[in-house]
Amino acid sequence: MSQDQPRKPISERIWDFFASVKLSFFLLLLLAVLSIAGTLIPQKEGAAAYVRAYGEAGWRFISAIGLNDLYHAPWFVLIMALLAANLVICSINRLSLTMRILGKDPAQEAGSMRKAKDSFTLTGEPASNLDKARLVLERLVGNSAQAKDGERTVLFAQRGGWSRFGVYLVHTSVLVIMAGALVGNFWGYSGFMNIPVGSSVDHIMLDNGQAKPLGFTLRLDKFNVAFYPNGMPSEYRSEVTFIDGGKEVQKSSLIVNDPAEYKGIDFYQSSYGNDLEAMEVELIRADGSKQPLTLKAREINQLPGGAKAAIQGWRERVQMGAMYDGPVARILYQEKGGEPQAYTAFNPGVKMPQSGPLKFEIVKVQTEAYSGLQVKYDPGVWFIWVGCTLMVIGFFIAFYFSHRKVWLRLSPTGQGRTKLEIAGATNKNRQSLARLISRLSHELGGGPKKAE
Amino acid sequence: MEALSNQILVAVTFTFLAASVLYLCHWAFKSKVFGWAASGVTWAALGVLTLAIVLRWVASHQMGIGHAPFSNLFESLVFFAWTIAAIYLIIELSTWMRTIGAFAVPLAFLSMLYALTLDPSIKPLLPALKSNWLIAHVITCFLGYAGFAVSAALGAMYLATGQAKDPASPRALVLDNLIYQTVVVGFILLTAGIVTGSIWANSAWGTYWSWDPKETWSLITWLVYASLLHSRFMRGWQGKRMAVFSLVGFGCVLFTYFGVNLLLSGLHSYATGK
Repeated sequence: MSQDQPRKPISERIWDFFASVKLSFFLLLLLAVLSIAGTLIPQKEGAAAYVRAYGEAGWRFISAIGLNDLYHAPWFVLIMALLAANLVICSINRLSLTMRILGKDPAQEAGSMRKAKDSFTLTGEPASNLDKARLVLERLVGNSAQAKDGERTVLFAQRGGWSRFGVYLVHTSVLVIMAGALVGNFWGYSGFMNIPVGSSVDHIMLDNGQAKPLGFTLRLDKFNVAFYPNGMPSEYRSEVTFIDGGKEVQKSSLIVNDPAEYKGIDFYQSSYGNDLEAMEVELIRADGSKQPLTLKAREINQLPGGAKAAIQGWRERVQMGAMYDGPVARILYQEKGGEPQAYTAFNPGVKMPQSGPLKFEIVKVQTEAYSGLQVKYDPGVWFIWVGCTLMVIGFFIAFYFSHRKVWLRLSPTGQGRTKLEIAGATNKNRQSLARLISRLSHELGGGPKKAE
Repeated sequence: MEALSNQILVAVTFTFLAASVLYLCHWAFKSKVFGWAASGVTWAALGVLTLAIVLRWVASHQMGIGHAPFSNLFESLVFFAWTIAAIYLIIELSTWMRTIGAFAVPLAFLSMLYALTLDPSIKPLLPALKSNWLIAHVITCFLGYAGFAVSAALGAMYLATGQAKDPASPRALVLDNLIYQTVVVGFILLTAGIVTGSIWANSAWGTYWSWDPKETWSLITWLVYASLLHSRFMRGWQGKRMAVFSLVGFGCVLFTYFGVNLLLSGLHSYATGK
């Protein structure tokens, strides 16, 4: 760190930069702060919603830097990639150090005893105490090595060296999770399908609005909503049949929290509702004459006499206080040779301002129930579960296991007695080392000692 | 039985208040009597609170809508108070530093007090909440939150008792280490909470991660504590900075818990039906 040292070559400085804990610290906090922005600004809304909330200029700014889909914006992904690079390089740097520590010759380590933390005198010469000391040390710590230092003998043992790999396990797990997310992003897809009861559907609508054929067909045999006594829904259940190559291959019962899988694709109970099939209406002209019509949904209806009509939109139930409670439809009607005009239709007998020379009244609404399924294919999901498991295991190793080294030194005191000194070192968790030393001291005859 | 459980919860709230006052007296007057009384009252509160939670569980089964009492804000606040008291008492047993109680136990009281302002009635589970992962997710998350709550209490104590003036004193070092240890406990449990949550989300919503505000804030909290744990390896971040950091982290926890539900909208808002 001294300033007199010659400057390192640029490649090494870049390496050191990426290997530093400071960079990890900074990147983790940066990701945290940027993520906050994504929870304050609504994500993945339509342009109109942003213009309404932030104005034209605000929306131009938001869309320019991708704040409307922050977590997938290139710069956000880049910061995650930097964190990944930081993880890898920092780990490589540390790993060589760790291997050097673990590769040390125990006999040599025995010769470099640390400062004694405890010492007491035993009866008998060192030679007669050596075997007992070694036995206790090996039982409580591990295989021992021995070094001579003139008249003095030093025993060395260590345990938990493997726990130094815990941190690498954690870092690897983060990379595995990131890899899983990438795999899902590149090779996975997600979308939804609405299946009317009794119908079959062979494609899904992807999140980007495109249709994607499944290669097989799903038939909704039954859809049921169960309720609690207080009226709250307790269960949504879709009974579906998978049809592949013209054959019924699988029957599944889909409920929330219990999806079905076919050919690696998962189907989730997501929503339900009623779709309009057709509407029976009555067309009332200014002269009071009435004409019954049946208008099909989702198409332009050719009517007798050359007129055309279509249902632009509808609501199953609209409540307007005491004025109205019932279905409402918006009907586009075009007389032969005339201009199309939009009318709002209500149930019969309702006094509403008329929007044109004609009036439409809703006589009957034909709907069909559909079940909405979320559909997902994600080959990366197993990476995620493996990564999560490794991470939790890695945490336990990294935080609750330590590499502890213990030295015992036996020296003659001159009166046929032995001075026994205990020293220890650990890479973390000093209390656990202190407990180990006090146990050793107790078993070797140092008398009961309170833990620090 | 539901009514009995609710009455006990009211009593427990004021028991935590009494314990908080006793711990504060212990701290102010350095009196052992207050300390022993405070511990006794807190143990009693935890025991009775456990009973109330079990009664509530049993009551829900008697109503025919049996589910673990971890399903809404009211029940989570009650359980949060339980986890704070439990983790604090474990630390008290291992350190005998009762002054910590003056900072930790009031948090349990506040959690209970907030719960008392809410509707305590037992309601059936929405379909999305009907999962075995509910219990694992809530228990891990709230034990984690409680670990962070206690570490923030330790951080506040570190600052309030002037440890920053002599960061090398034995007491300051013990506190610094306790902050670190409780953050580690919280961090592992928060990780487990996020993992169980994403397993659950994967089976309920078809995606293990959807950047929903609650998920994102739990990740923000995780990132903040991850940086705190890394700061341990940088010079000069022990002591006062650690104490401040633990308070900032707990601020993130509180926002994840309350702020997201109150201020932001997302999948976790179980106030409205599907």
